[in-house]
Amino acid sequence: MERRLQVLVLDDEPIVGKRLQPALAKVGCDVEVFDAPRPALERLAATRFDIVVTDIRMDDIDGIEVLEKVLERWPDTRVIMITGYATVELAREAMAKGAFDFIAKPFKPQELRDVIAKAAEALGFAGIAHAVVGESS
Amino acid sequence: MATEHDEGVPAAPAALDAVSVERAFWDRPSIGIRARLVLGFLSFVGFAVVVIIGAWVLLARLEDRLRFLEAVDRYTMEIQQTRRFEKNYFLHGANLQDMQDHLAEARRLLVAAEPDAAKVLTATELGRMRRHLDGYESALARLVAGAAGPGAAPAERSAIEAALRDNGSQMVAVALELADKERASVNRTLALFKRLPVVFLVLLLAFSVIVADVLARQMVRPLGRLMKTTERIAGGDFTPLTPSRWYRDEFSNLGLALNTMMRELAHRQEVLVQSHKLSAIGTLTAGVAHELNNPMNNITLTAEMLREDYATLSDAQRLEMVEDLVTQVARAQRIVRNLLDFARESEITTERLDLGDVLRAATGLAANQIKLSGAKIAVEVAENLPAIHGDRQALSQVFVNLLINALDAVRKGGRVTITAGPAREAACVQVVIADDGCGIPAHVLPKIFDPFFTTKSKGKGTGLGLSVSLGIVRQHGGDIRVESEPGHGSSFTVVLPAAMVPRVDPAGSGPPTPTPASRPVPRA
Repeated sequence: MERRLQVLVLDDEPIVGKRLQPALAKVGCDVEVFDAPRPALERLAATRFDIVVTDIRMDDIDGIEVLEKVLERWPDTRVIMITGYATVELAREAMAKGAFDFIAKPFKPQELRDVIAKAAEALGFAGIAHAVVGESS
Repeated sequence: MATEHDEGVPAAPAALDAVSVERAFWDRPSIGIRARLVLGFLSFVGFAVVVIIGAWVLLARLEDRLRFLEAVDRYTMEIQQTRRFEKNYFLHGANLQDMQDHLAEARRLLVAAEPDAAKVLTATELGRMRRHLDGYESALARLVAGAAGPGAAPAERSAIEAALRDNGSQMVAVALELADKERASVNRTLALFKRLPVVFLVLLLAFSVIVADVLARQMVRPLGRLMKTTERIAGGDFTPLTPSRWYRDEFSNLGLALNTMMRELAHRQEVLVQSHKLSAIGTLTAGVAHELNNPMNNITLTAEMLREDYATLSDAQRLEMVEDLVTQVARAQRIVRNLLDFARESEITTERLDLGDVLRAATGLAANQIKLSGAKIAVEVAENLPAIHGDRQALSQVFVNLLINALDAVRKGGRVTITAGPAREAACVQVVIADDGCGIPAHVLPKIFDPFFTTKSKGKGTGLGLSVSLGIVRQHGGDIRVESEPGHGSSFTVVLPAAMVPRVDPAGSGPPTPTPASRPVPRA
C-alpha cells in the first residue's frame, strides 16, 4: 500500500471543503479542510502536504500569500489556486510565483480531481492518477 | 409645445406643471416693449400738444384783450375830445355839432366793446358808465334843443353845464379806470407768458424722468429676474419660471425659451444620470459576477456530489445537501436582485428617506468591490439623524460613485470611513466619505466635477461619476464639498437639506399639487 496523497483544501466558503472532502477521499487522498487562512497556515507551518488547494480571494490573507508561505516552507508542495471571475490577473500572478495550476469557480469535483491527478503524477503518485482516471470514466 | 411629446406621459406632474405654466404665460395680454416705447413717446407728443394748444388759447385771449384795450383807449379819446369841444362851446360859443359827433362815436364804441367789457367790469360799473353817458347825452340834447338861443335862462344854462361837467368827468374817470384795469390784466397775462417756458421745462423734465424710470424699471426688473434664473439653472435647479406680471412681452417669450431650455437640460441630465448609471453598473457587475461565482460553485459542487454519491448517502446527508442547494440559490438571487434594483430605470420619486438605510444599501451594492479592493470600510451614522427627502435610487447612485472612487484611491488594506451626521449648515445633514488613499493633486481638484474629466485609465472610468453625482445632489438642494491632501487621502462631503419635521406624507403621494384633472397633452 502506497502512501496516501496528503491534500489541504482552503476556501472561506465552508461548503467547498464540506463537499471536496468526500470527493477527494474517494480517490485516495487524505484531506484536511480549512475555511480560514490563519489556522491553515499554522497547520502548514507544522506539517507538509503534497498538495494545497487554496482560494485566491479571502479576507485577511489572500491565496497569493498562502502560496508564497507554502513554497517557502515546502518547496516541492504543489499548490493549486481556485480563482473567481475577477481574480484571473491574480491567478496569472500566482502561476508566475510557482503555483502548479489554477481552476476557475464554478468547477465540478471531477475537474479538480483531474488537476490533482496531474499534480500527483508530477509528484510521482502514479496510483492516484490511475485511481482518478478510473473513477472519472 | 413642439417638444411636448418628448416628455412622455409618465412624467405626469412635471409635464402638467410645465404645460400650465406655459398656458399661464399665453393667457396674459400681450403688451410688447415696442408698444410701451411707442406709448411713452406718444405721451410726450400729447404733452407737447396740450402745452401748445394752451399757449395758443392764451395768445388768442391776449389778442382780444389788446383789441379791447385799444377800443377803451379810443373811447376815452372820444370822450376827452367831446369834453374839449364842450369847453370850447362854453368859453368861445363854438358849435355843438362836433360834440355830438364825438359823443355818438363814443356811444358806438361802448356798444361794440360791451361784450368784452362785461368780462372785465362788473355789472354796476358798466351800469354807471352807461348812466353817465346817458346823462351826458341828455344834457347835450337839452343844450342843443333849448339853450341854443341867446335868450335862454342863465339858471337853466348853468344847470346843464354842471350836468355836462359832472357826467363828463365821471365818464373819463371810469374809462381811465377801465383802461388801467385792462392794462393790468394784459400785463398779468404777459407775465404768465414769461413764466410759461420755465414751467413747461420743469414739467417736461419731471415727466421725462417719470417715463424713463417706468420704462427702465420695466426692462431692468425682468432682466434681473432672468439673470437670477440663469444662476439658478447653473446651480441645477430646473423648476420652470412662472409669469410674475399681468401682461406678456418679449421678456415673457425669453422666459418661455428658458423654460424650454430647462426642460431640455433636465432631460439631458436624466440621460446623463442614466448613462452613468449604466457605467456604474458595469463596474458593479464585475464584482457581482465574481461574488455570484461563490454560491454557484457551492451549488455545482453540492449537486455533482449528490449525483455521484446518491446511492451511498444517508437520507440525512442528502437532505443536508439539498438544504445547502436551497440556501445557495437564495444567496445568488439576493446578489443579483441588489444590482437589478439599482439598475432599474425608474422615474424620480421623492420620498422620506433614512440616510442610514441609503448608505447601507449603497455599501451593500459595492460590497463585492469592497471585498476585492481589500479595503476596510467603516460606516457610522449619528443617532437621531433627521430624515431627508429625496430619490432613493439617485442618492444611492451618488454614494456608490463616491465609494467606488474612494476604493480606487486606496491601496490594499486602506481605510474608507463613511460618516453621516448633522452638517455645519443649518437644517442640513451631511455624509462624509473619507479615504486614506492617494489623494487628489491640487491642480486637478478644480476639474474633478467637470463632465468627462477622469484620471482613471481608458475604459475604466467615464469621467461622469462626480459630475452626475453633483447634479443629483444639487437637484436635491444640496452640495458636494471636497478636501484632499495628496498622499494622505481625500474626503467628499455630501450636504443635503433635512426634511422638515411636521410633514404629513402618506406613502406614495408627494406634496399636494393642484392637478387640473389629468388630461392628455392638450396641443399637438
